[in-house]
Amino acid sequence: MVRQAVAAANPGIREFAILLSDAAAGELETLAARAQALTCRHFGRTIGLYAPLYLSNYCPTQCAYCGFASDRKIRRHKLAEGELAAESAALKRLGLEEVLVLTGDRLATADYEFVRHGVESLAAQFHSVSAEVFAMSQSEYAGLAAAGCTAVTLYQETYDPARYALLHTSGPKADYAWRLDAPARALAGGIRSAGLGVLLGLSEPLRDSLSLYCHAARLRRRFWTGGVAIAFPRVRPQSGDYAADFPVSEGLLAQIVFAFRIAMPDAPLVLSTRESPSFRDGMAGVGISKMSVASRTTVGGYAEGAAASSAQFEIEDHRGVEEFCAMLRAKGLQPVFKNWDAVYRAAHA
Amino acid sequence: MDDAFRLGDRTFRSRLLLGTGKFSSVEAMVRAVRASGASLVTVALRRFNRERPDDDLCAPLAQIGGVTLVPNTSGAMNAREAVRAALLGREITGSPFVKLEIHPNPHHLLPDPIETFEAAGLLVKEGFFVLPYMPADPVLARRLEDIGCAAVMPLGSAIGSGQGLATLSMLQVMIRDAGIPVIVDAGLRSPSEAAAVMEMGGGAVLVNSAIAAAENPALMAGAFAMAVEAGRQAWRAGLMPRSETAVATSPAGPLTAFLAGAGS
Repeated sequence: MVRQAVAAANPGIREFAILLSDAAAGELETLAARAQALTCRHFGRTIGLYAPLYLSNYCPTQCAYCGFASDRKIRRHKLAEGELAAESAALKRLGLEEVLVLTGDRLATADYEFVRHGVESLAAQFHSVSAEVFAMSQSEYAGLAAAGCTAVTLYQETYDPARYALLHTSGPKADYAWRLDAPARALAGGIRSAGLGVLLGLSEPLRDSLSLYCHAARLRRRFWTGGVAIAFPRVRPQSGDYAADFPVSEGLLAQIVFAFRIAMPDAPLVLSTRESPSFRDGMAGVGISKMSVASRTTVGGYAEGAAASSAQFEIEDHRGVEEFCAMLRAKGLQPVFKNWDAVYRAAHA
Repeated sequence: MDDAFRLGDRTFRSRLLLGTGKFSSVEAMVRAVRASGASLVTVALRRFNRERPDDDLCAPLAQIGGVTLVPNTSGAMNAREAVRAALLGREITGSPFVKLEIHPNPHHLLPDPIETFEAAGLLVKEGFFVLPYMPADPVLARRLEDIGCAAVMPLGSAIGSGQGLATLSMLQVMIRDAGIPVIVDAGLRSPSEAAAVMEMGGGAVLVNSAIAAAENPALMAGAFAMAVEAGRQAWRAGLMPRSETAVATSPAGPLTAFLAGAGS
């Protein structure tokens, strides 16, 4: 049954579920080989690169697992105009052309307009700007798209409503349904691509993965021109010392990535610097088609001098751009810094 | 006999066009282009990177002698985006050719016939030699020819799929009826499929994934070059007729025996 699911011509939720099973765990090498072949078929021998850029770490929400949660006693900061320019210039010096802006949850001092302005400023510097920020209304997403945002990432964290309620006790993010529908609002608002994910470790990982698959598949049916990407964050050590209630091993994480690649072969699959160098090296091109590099999870982390805030979580892969790219090249993978062009954004101006 | 490949106002030696994405490195891509002997190579505008030379596909291709760049508009979701990308591509490369690609769905990357038709008309008016990537639709092909496209580029099957000539019967109609070159693009996996396109009178083929994803891209590029050449020569030589019917006899005699003397 596993072998049939691996080789299925038109895989769907049934094959995906089989690929997550214990039986499939025993055939991990078979899954990996298929995942690699499909990644190569759809994305070539390339890995897309991006870097996160934190605009602010002020946050009104108490997420049990997040280093930026409102009850954490940490250094907080919001980038002033000049600081944003310095961060942007530092990222440009690294040669990166795709930047992902992040903030905490919605606040009067770090609101929609603050994010929109940040996107607009960065869009003047980078060919590709995307956002991983709080859930917005459709008209706000339309405004973000007009400002130059091509993609929105919004992890549901967990699709289990009971676990979600337990982990998000206050603040705007406590509204499960509003968050669940946000990727659809983003695509409806003209954002080209939605990035989905669960924070592995918060809840039963197989159930969450199945829900994530269903969410992605439904968005693709509903928005025929919308892109859907999947990322695979795991709970990391952070200032609140939250430990995963449902720890996910590297083996299971790899299996989940392979299952997504095989059952949704043409979706970008993303892996961040949360993971260790050895795991990232092994997964590059084997399911994973896009990776962050040289990441700082602090506000103001790229410009020279010390970061102005604490970190959201600890990263595992501290390699710089050139070191990471040398690894990719040694594996026969071409790092791709620019895979988009601002001309497509200007067409809407 | 002159068998140059005429496209726009130019003639080219090779009927194999190469796509330049998906390679493991810029160097591997350049080696494959050289080994293919291709005269025309397509390159996505979104992979032009003037700020980071090791990430730029344009400059290394421009340095290969005898190669004409064909910028493509991959990433465009509609006519407006494609036209802007085409204009920028011409500004940077100086090439009068554009491979018009409009695929609104970023997953399967199938071409949008409506937006493609609209953009093609605008780009022809802008003076481009327009090479539209399109579904294997004989009617759309004639429409694109009528508005002045230099060639049509129907897909053999979905881009990157390696499913070969899934649209074979439609391609045959297009090739039979077209007054401009039919360049079969996308989906090819093996050199024999490229040869098959040329044997049936295709103007050229464009290959990318089949070469970039091969274990030895440069070797595969050479194999495609030979296959395209062989297929072209076979078409020029004229294939012997294939007998599609059996010789019918039956105890009762020929089926048309009743016609004996009917005409006299």
